[in-house]
Amino acid sequence: MSIMEYNGGSVVAMAGKDCVAIASDLRLGNQALTIATNFEKVFPVTERIMLGMAGLATDVLTLRDRFRFRVNMYTIKEEREIEPETFAHLVSSTLYERRFGPYFIEPVIAGLGKGTNKPFIASTDVIGCINFAKDFVVAGTATDKLFGVAESLWEPDLEPEDLFETISQTLMNAVDRDAFSGWGAVVHIITPEKVITRHLKARMD
Amino acid sequence: MNAIASRFRASPYHEQGVEQDQNAQDSVLWGSQGGFGNLRAGAPPEFVVPNVPSPTAFLQLHTDDHADPNCRIKIAHGTTTLAFRFRGGIIVAVDSRATAGSYIASGTVKKVIEINKFLLGTMAGGAADCQYWETYLGIQCRLHELRNRERISVAAASKYLSNLVYSYKGMGLSMGTMICGWDKTGPALFYVDSDGTRLKGDVFSVGSGSTFAYGVLDQGYHWELSDEDAQELGRRSIYAAGHRDAFSGNTINLYHVRETGWEFIGNYDVTKMHYDGPGNIPGAPVGGYGYDARVSTV
Amino acid sequence: MATGDGGAYSYSLTVFSPSGKLVQIEHALARVSQGTTSLGIKATNGIVIATEKKASSILMDMSMIEKVCMICPNIGIVYSGMGPDYRVLVSKARKSAQAYWKIYGEYPPTRVLVQELATVMQQATQSGGVRPYGVSLLVAGWDPNRGATLYQVDPSGSFWAWKASAIGKNMINAKTFLEKRYNDDISLEDAIHTALLTLKEGFEGQMTEKTIELGIITVPSKEELRELGGEAGLSVPNAGTGRPKPTFRKLTEEEVRDYLAM
Repeated sequence: MSIMEYNGGSVVAMAGKDCVAIASDLRLGNQALTIATNFEKVFPVTERIMLGMAGLATDVLTLRDRFRFRVNMYTIKEEREIEPETFAHLVSSTLYERRFGPYFIEPVIAGLGKGTNKPFIASTDVIGCINFAKDFVVAGTATDKLFGVAESLWEPDLEPEDLFETISQTLMNAVDRDAFSGWGAVVHIITPEKVITRHLKARMD
Repeated sequence: MNAIASRFRASPYHEQGVEQDQNAQDSVLWGSQGGFGNLRAGAPPEFVVPNVPSPTAFLQLHTDDHADPNCRIKIAHGTTTLAFRFRGGIIVAVDSRATAGSYIASGTVKKVIEINKFLLGTMAGGAADCQYWETYLGIQCRLHELRNRERISVAAASKYLSNLVYSYKGMGLSMGTMICGWDKTGPALFYVDSDGTRLKGDVFSVGSGSTFAYGVLDQGYHWELSDEDAQELGRRSIYAAGHRDAFSGNTINLYHVRETGWEFIGNYDVTKMHYDGPGNIPGAPVGGYGYDARVSTV
Repeated sequence: MATGDGGAYSYSLTVFSPSGKLVQIEHALARVSQGTTSLGIKATNGIVIATEKKASSILMDMSMIEKVCMICPNIGIVYSGMGPDYRVLVSKARKSAQAYWKIYGEYPPTRVLVQELATVMQQATQSGGVRPYGVSLLVAGWDPNRGATLYQVDPSGSFWAWKASAIGKNMINAKTFLEKRYNDDISLEDAIHTALLTLKEGFEGQMTEKTIELGIITVPSKEELRELGGEAGLSVPNAGTGRPKPTFRKLTEEEVRDYLAM
């Protein structure tokens, strides 16, 4: 059995018009056994950047703390907030540090650029190869299903509410075909003014 | 020499070599040799086996997913089925999920096989194996009825099946089934699997989610259960497995076997059970089976 | 017993004198004040850094000596003091800028690079078996966050941001001159001329394109930034090369000659 399927879980991010969305399921499993249904996999980095991580749960928690440390150090040293693109590079280089003994997570980054409000989404593999995408990025045990649904539902320049609907439908329909993901979902919409967070009523099996 | 392998070696097709084998393939195409068309009185159907020195070893190699998960003839896994005997007959409850790896291939599988009016078989393991052999069992049960002018006992029917799968032991059959029915002795329940195990009992659960189902089942089970409470127990047990087990879920199919034969009680969505429960049904609680600690994220 | 103004404390780098001085650092500063004059002026649309280049013999090939150095495409530095120490610092600074690029995918803001350099220089005041760097640095850079900034770093590891500053032999006079000449809305062209005039004060010998080095920071216009692909100009590579368009460059001998002729 793959270590990436040990705990299960999936993350997806999408770009809209002056907004981005990032969402995860809530399952924490031990192989087939569902341990918890409140395990969020998306964390705030700054007021306008969020990081989602799918993969081995212990590494998700370790890296959340590690990135918080590195971003705090950056903010203090540079006396400014980190930009989404810079953060993507930070994630990439942090993961590549463990090239020969990787953290078993696939990160997904979503944020808005400072001043420009330019939507930014990216993902990397477990050793930090960055994928800059203009439309959507996915990670986790439901990756292939998420790609399929997102490919048919996503369209350019969606307003925040429409983007919320699109990412929610994408995540829910994808994880309903994945044995290791689901059991609830959480969606974050990042707009220039605020971050909107919503919990979805999802299938619980 | 393995008994079953030697039987196949003695088959006329094999003795006549590869070219004759080709002719056998042709007749398979013309008739329905893969179905029940090649049934001969009393004898089990014959199958084309891999043309190798040891078909059992060959099949084991390609169907045993524990040994090698990549190279195998795909066999469906992940199921929760249960059946229990009580004062009012037998309750049979199953989920409806079919998975291929982590992919949920279907959420609407019928895992209760209606062998005849008085017999039910459950399906766990290889879907095709269960379907084929339990339907075949139905044919044999009907023939028994015609020959003996009385219905076959559940003990006899289940033994027929267990003897049959035992004769194919080592060739990759995968079944974990419960044969449930009502005969002269009253409600009867047998567990039969492809290893050749056959057990008589009051409470059984089979599949990847069986442990979760047993948990609820054992806690709520006693012989004097009312019909409604028994049905609710079956439903609630499959729900528990559907919720906790990644490879079980989607919907619950519930059957009740009585003296008059089996009755289909209903189909219930697991998620609807979680949030809302089965609705206004005697024996069922008000509201959903799920509780806040497991649902809320705060 | 050691002699000289520091007494017994003058040799041990890491021991304070009773009056609270680390005399080795003061000696290092003294070494800087013997070095050739360098200066920097921040203008509204850029920065100029300049230095005088003196040959100890007419036989030296002065075109091979480089005192104004680019650290990364957005930062340049110049020094007064010991040439060999400067070379080591340039090498460390360049390495540091590349390390930063490897982590963040963009070059460091000026302040971060200055902090890095200052840390290196401070460490040389507190470690065993080393002496402080015998140089002061003028660091000019541009970044999207703070714009164009000019810093001075001293052997002690302390650093400040300046509108205009001078270091080296003629530092006192030069600073007085700059204080008189400087105003807040000076243009880069004017700043370059002011820099040359300042160097001329107390210049020994002939000022030519061979004896003067100039480096400039030019602030990218809004259009140039947009061309580069947004506010985060530094991190956006030029098409094909994978490198950002430099905001720092050294002036060629021809350019210096033209400025001297004006």
